[in-house]
Amino acid sequence: MSSNTLEVSMYRYNPEQDKFPYMKKYSIEKPARDIMVLDLLHLLKESDDSISYRRSCREGVCGSDGMNINGKNGLACITPISSVIKKDKIELRPLPGLPVIRDLVVDMTQFYAQYEKIKPFLQNDTTAPEQERLQSPEDRAKLDGLYECILCACCSTSCPSFWWNPDKFVGPAALLQAYRFLADTRDLETQNRLEELSDPFSVYRCHGIMNCVSACPKSLNPNKAIGEIKSMLLSNKKQVITSDGVR
Amino acid sequence: MATKFSWDILWCLFMKGSLIWKAQRYSSLIIFTYFLYVAYFIFSSDIISFDNWSNFALSAQLKIATSLVFILILLHSFIGLWTVGTDYLTTRTLGFLNESLAKRAKFLRNLYYFLFVSMGLLYLVVILYTIWL
Repeated sequence: MSSNTLEVSMYRYNPEQDKFPYMKKYSIEKPARDIMVLDLLHLLKESDDSISYRRSCREGVCGSDGMNINGKNGLACITPISSVIKKDKIELRPLPGLPVIRDLVVDMTQFYAQYEKIKPFLQNDTTAPEQERLQSPEDRAKLDGLYECILCACCSTSCPSFWWNPDKFVGPAALLQAYRFLADTRDLETQNRLEELSDPFSVYRCHGIMNCVSACPKSLNPNKAIGEIKSMLLSNKKQVITSDGVR
Repeated sequence: MATKFSWDILWCLFMKGSLIWKAQRYSSLIIFTYFLYVAYFIFSSDIISFDNWSNFALSAQLKIATSLVFILILLHSFIGLWTVGTDYLTTRTLGFLNESLAKRAKFLRNLYYFLFVSMGLLYLVVILYTIWL
């Protein structure tokens, strides 16, 4: 193979045609400039329109095109091929651990079920003020590094604990969001939220191997958030929260 | 072949994640301290003779400490092995290897629990018998 050629090995599976998934190799001319993996997929789709993958915003905001690129989960749209290419080869697989619908498209039902489980919305049954529930800049700063998650599932699907127990272990993405609401001074359901996470699986199945941190395309740190939740569970403080948000 | 009952259910009903977490960490600290103490005795003695080793090992304090530590080793390993069982002996995980194994996952997991609990209890009886009788 000449050095001007790029070999792309792609996971292919169409349940209507294929009994088993297989890896298909494509050789294409190396692009003149560095392009994103998503652009590479577009180029491949021009020659083989049966290739399936999700995409939407193509700028790392929607989280649709999470996939496994040369063994590491990431967003195809913000991953330059130069950062992943190895010996002129790129291997593309669907996110690990989730059922494959077709090619690089996975069924994210289980992932969203865990997200739903943590009740990802503000719970505060006190009378709402006329405009908005205010926070001090310090309290607001506690949410930095938490609210930015785009739910691409790159972290949860790189976590072996989530692979083995996707129905019981909440997973790094949903736990990051769980802590986003536990850390929010406006939320009054801290105790109930903690109670729902107190079983041996939901949080404690995380052994801190930090694949989630390594995979997160937004450079967030779910492992740190999980550590904070564990600390809250271990301290077992019955927190008193009043209507003005004082803990 | 699949059984309806699983020890996982009992475990989850009575155990909190933080309790298991604490049990594993604190037991490891106590076990480590015990072995440091024994190592200190060994390395601080000029000569280890049968007499001074027997005096040390057969003292009531050390017998109690040894019994406690071996019970904690058992507890610590039960938690670890339970975690391994619930990770790798599931329908999902065994399904990667073989479909018929996956169908028997719960039975295999219960068998695995039975084996390690039996071995653990046997180990405990032997250890306590050796220490106290």
